[in-house]
Amino acid sequence: MSTTVERRVRTVRESLASTLGEAMAADESMVLLGETVRAGGAQGVARGLYERFGPSRVIETPVSENGIFGAALGLALSGFRPVVEIYSADFLLAVANEIVNDIAKWRIQHGQPGAQLPVLIRGCMGATAGLGPEHSQSMEPFFFHSPGLQICVPSTLENAPALLDAALESRQPTLFLEHRKVYELQGSGTPEPRPAAEPGTAEVVRVGTDLTMVAWGWMRTEAEAACATLAEHGVTVELVDPRWIRPFDYATVVNSVAKTGRLLVLEEAFITGGIGAEILARVTEAFPGRALVATRVAMPDVIHPYHAEMERQILPTAADAVHAALRLVRNQDES
Amino acid sequence: MGAPSGDDLLRLYELMVESRAFDDACMDLLAAGEEVPHFHSGAGQEALSIGSVAMLRPTDEIVYTHRGYAHLLAKGVPLATIAADMFYRRGGTNGARGGVMHVSRPDLGVPGREGVFGTRFGLAAGLALAHSLRGDDGVAVCFYGEAAGARGPLYEALNMAVLWNLPVVFVAENNGWSVNSRTEWLFPGGRMSTVWSGFGIPVTEVDGNDLTAVSSATARAVSRARAGGGPSVIEGLTYRLHPHIWWDDASYVPARELQAWWEKDPIPRQRRVLEEEGMAADRLDDVERRARNRVAETIEAVRGAPFVEWDLEVGVEGVR
Ligand SMILES: Cc1ncc(C[n+]2csc(CCOP(=O)(O)OP(=O)(O)O)c2C)c(N)n1
Repeated sequence: MSTTVERRVRTVRESLASTLGEAMAADESMVLLGETVRAGGAQGVARGLYERFGPSRVIETPVSENGIFGAALGLALSGFRPVVEIYSADFLLAVANEIVNDIAKWRIQHGQPGAQLPVLIRGCMGATAGLGPEHSQSMEPFFFHSPGLQICVPSTLENAPALLDAALESRQPTLFLEHRKVYELQGSGTPEPRPAAEPGTAEVVRVGTDLTMVAWGWMRTEAEAACATLAEHGVTVELVDPRWIRPFDYATVVNSVAKTGRLLVLEEAFITGGIGAEILARVTEAFPGRALVATRVAMPDVIHPYHAEMERQILPTAADAVHAALRLVRNQDES
Repeated sequence: MGAPSGDDLLRLYELMVESRAFDDACMDLLAAGEEVPHFHSGAGQEALSIGSVAMLRPTDEIVYTHRGYAHLLAKGVPLATIAADMFYRRGGTNGARGGVMHVSRPDLGVPGREGVFGTRFGLAAGLALAHSLRGDDGVAVCFYGEAAGARGPLYEALNMAVLWNLPVVFVAENNGWSVNSRTEWLFPGGRMSTVWSGFGIPVTEVDGNDLTAVSSATARAVSRARAGGGPSVIEGLTYRLHPHIWWDDASYVPARELQAWWEKDPIPRQRRVLEEEGMAADRLDDVERRARNRVAETIEAVRGAPFVEWDLEVGVEGVR
C-alpha cells in the first residue's frame, strides 16, 4: 500500500456532502436542521458540517418532525434558507400536513405568489435490502399530487451535486429524495462539468429509435442495464431521466415518443397512482387519436417485506424492464 | 415595556372598541342574511388579544388565530386591510386566495396563519430561532385555542423552545369552548397549560378579560424572552360570547353561564377602569363614537369597493 493518502473514488454520498458544505459556506443564511445531523446525519450527508459550521448552522434537533418542519417554515419566513434532513423519507408522512398544507401553499395563500420560500427537505428513500415497509418506500408519488412543491430525485454521481445546487438555488420548497442505493454509486473520479439541472429539465441519457424508456433514481441504473441488454436484441432505446418529478419535463418525453412510438416507464414506487400513471396519461393526451404503445414496470401494490430475498423478488429490475420492452416492441411488430 | 397607563390605555381601549365594532358589524350583516366569509367572532376576547399584542414591537411576530381581528389590529394591520381580505375586495393582502383566515403583513410581524391547527407552534419556534440565530432581541408570540393546544406539535415546539432557550411566548386562549366541546372535556381540570409547568418554565394564568393583568403578564414574559430568559406560557381565561361561526346556533351554551360572562365583558370593564383612573366620561364616549364611526365607514367603503381581480394562473407551475 502506498503511504500517500489516495483520494478514494467519490460516491454520490460524498458528493452530496461536499455540495451541501459548499452551499453553506457560500451563504450564511443556510442552516441545516435534523435528527443526528451533528454526527453526520442519518446517511452521512452531513458529515463534517457540524465541525465546519458549528451549532448555529448545523442544528441537532429532537425527534420532533412536526416541530422541525414548522420551525423550518418559520426560519424561511425570517430570511433563512433551512435545509431539513428527514431521517428516512417514509417519515415525511408524519409531516405531510406541514409540507402539503403549510409549506407548499403558504406563499399563494398569503398573497406572495412570486416570493421565495427556500425550504429544502432532503433525506434517503428507497429499498435496499430488507429494511421493511416503513423504511423502503419511494415517496415521490405521495407528494407528487401537491401543487407548490418541487420534487427532485438524483440518480448519478454526475447529476446529484448539480441537482442539489439547482434545488438550493431555486429557493422554492423542494423535496430532494436520495435513493439509498444511489448513495453508493461512484463515478470516473475525474470531475465532470456539472450538467444543466434546472427544475423541470430532464436528461436524455441515451438516444434511440425503437422505444422511449423513462426511469429515475435507482431505476435509472436498472434502466441502463436494460438498455444494454436490449441493444443485444437489436432494440435501441431512448432513455430519459426526468430527475425532477415535479415540475416534470413532459415535453422531453413526448418528443421522444413522437420519434420512437413506444413508451416504458420503470418506477420503484407502487404501481397504483404512481408517477408512471401520470406520464402515460400525459403522453396519451399529447397524441390525440393515436393508441399509445406503452406500459409501466413498477413495484406491485404490496408492502415491502423485511426478508431481503422476498423483497428482491418483488422489486422492479432491469430484467423486468427488458421483458416488458421486448413485449412492447414485438407485439406491435407482430400486429 | 411595562403595563400601559394613561394615554396608552386609552389607545388600547379604542382598539378594543374598534375590534368589537367590527365584530358587531359582521354579526349585523349575518343577521341581515348577508355573507360574511369565514367570520369567527372574537367578541369577549379583546382584552386578551389586545393586551398582549400591544406589548410587542413591530419587529416581534405574532401567530394569530382564526378569530384574530383584535390581534391583527393591535399589531398595526389596518381594519380596511382585514375587511378587504374578508370580503375579497381589492386592498387586502392575499387576493382572495386566503381571505380573512390568512391575512399577512410580514413587515408588521404578521407572517400568516395555518389552517390545520398545530403548525403554529413549530412555526413560532422557528421565528424565535431566527431571532436567536441573528442575535437580535425579537420575540415571537404564538396564540392558540383549545383545538391547537391539544395537538402534539405544541409538545415538540415547547421542548425545542426550552432546549434552545428561544424567545417565544405561547398564549393559550381558554375561552370555554372548542366549537361545542367544553374545555373541561378536553384538558385536565379545564386548564390548557398546567401540564406545561413540568417544563420548568413560567406558566402564568391570568384573567383574560382584564386588560391590565394581561398586559402585565405579557410584558413580563416578553421582556424575559428579550433578555435571553427563554420561553414561557400564559393562559388567559376568557369566553367566546358569540357562536363559533355563522352556522352554529350555540344552543349548547347555558344561558346563565353566557349571561355571567357578558357581565364580565372586557370592554365595559375596561371603561370602568379608565373612569376610575379619572378619564372623563365624555372623552370615553367620544373615543367610542369615533371608533364605531370609523369602523362603519370602513366596512361600507370596503364592501362598496371592487372585488379583487382573479388571476387563475397564479400559482400554476411555470407561471408562479
Ligand atoms: C388540526 C385541526 N383539527 C380540526 C380543525 C377544525 N376546527 C376548526 S375551528 C375548531 C375549533 C377551534 O376551537 P378552539 O381552538 O378552542 O378555538 P376557538 O374557536 O374557541 O377560538 C376546529 C376543531 C382544524 N382547523 N385543524
